[in-house]
Amino acid sequence: MRTAASLIAENNEKREMLNNENLALYEEFLLYIRTDLRVAEQAGEEVLMDLLDHLLEAQEEGRTGSNLFGDNPQEYADEVIEALPREKKRNAAVFIFSQLLSLAGWFSIAYGAVYILLSFFTEVDTAISLGNILILLTTGAFVAFFAVWLIFKMLRSSLFRPKKSQTMEYVKAGLLGATAFGIIMLLAWLIPEFGPVIRLNWWVYVLIGLALMGAAKVIERVK
Amino acid sequence: MALRSQLLKGVLDACVMAVVEEEAVYGYELSQKLQKIGLPDISDGTIYPVLLRLQKNGFIRGEMRPSASGPNRKYYFLTDSGRDELRKIAGEWEEIAMPVSKLLKRSDEA
Repeated sequence: MRTAASLIAENNEKREMLNNENLALYEEFLLYIRTDLRVAEQAGEEVLMDLLDHLLEAQEEGRTGSNLFGDNPQEYADEVIEALPREKKRNAAVFIFSQLLSLAGWFSIAYGAVYILLSFFTEVDTAISLGNILILLTTGAFVAFFAVWLIFKMLRSSLFRPKKSQTMEYVKAGLLGATAFGIIMLLAWLIPEFGPVIRLNWWVYVLIGLALMGAAKVIERVK
Repeated sequence: MALRSQLLKGVLDACVMAVVEEEAVYGYELSQKLQKIGLPDISDGTIYPVLLRLQKNGFIRGEMRPSASGPNRKYYFLTDSGRDELRKIAGEWEEIAMPVSKLLKRSDEA
């Protein structure tokens, strides 16, 4: 059984053998399938590999790739998605949970790092109140999911169309990131301290962070 | 991709299963075989949604095998329930094909 991860790695390698015209067609199709979160990942990667093999073989025989996707590639992609099995709820839940854990892990490591950096220059109060942290983490999670959802939506709506200027897209994505970050900063500033206060050394935060990220990796394996 | 209607979808399902029953094939081979048989207006990609649908229903299954040209390919095999389904569709097809084509030919001449 080939895992989704090994299929993705193989896909990255094989894709380089496509000529420019076929590569452009194929990558649009690939993004369209991968950013559809309803699709079961394993099955999606399998059909992507089938299509890549097909394109490569057609290319060797000097046939064009537009034969494969037809006159309306988006309609074709929708047809493929329709026929693909849906991701199991359990897999999706495991994925989201592991993402949350690693987000919290990054957060904790960053906290520790900022403390150690600041302490070179000034006396730092390492006291934090657990209530605030919980609220910040929860908001962070919601903001992150919303941002991912929005970016996927923007990306999907740009596929299978003549390319407009990339600058606008970058500006949009940048604004989105800035807004997300701004919301979190604003909350950190507005929310009053509440909940039990704890005081930990900087390296404890780093250790907690590493542990959380390790746990996230382990959990993702059980999918 | 003119093969859109439900009827033609069903017919295409049966054609794919018939080819797979004869011999396990991978995607590219299958599309070449169908074109050689002379099915009209099938673009290469048409078979992939069909293959997915047939797998979902358990009528065919895929297995990695080294191909004649070298690299590993996903070969499709007919399952037992696929064989039953193919017999069923083939039977239904035989029942309607003759009378329908006779009927349509008659209205052609009129």
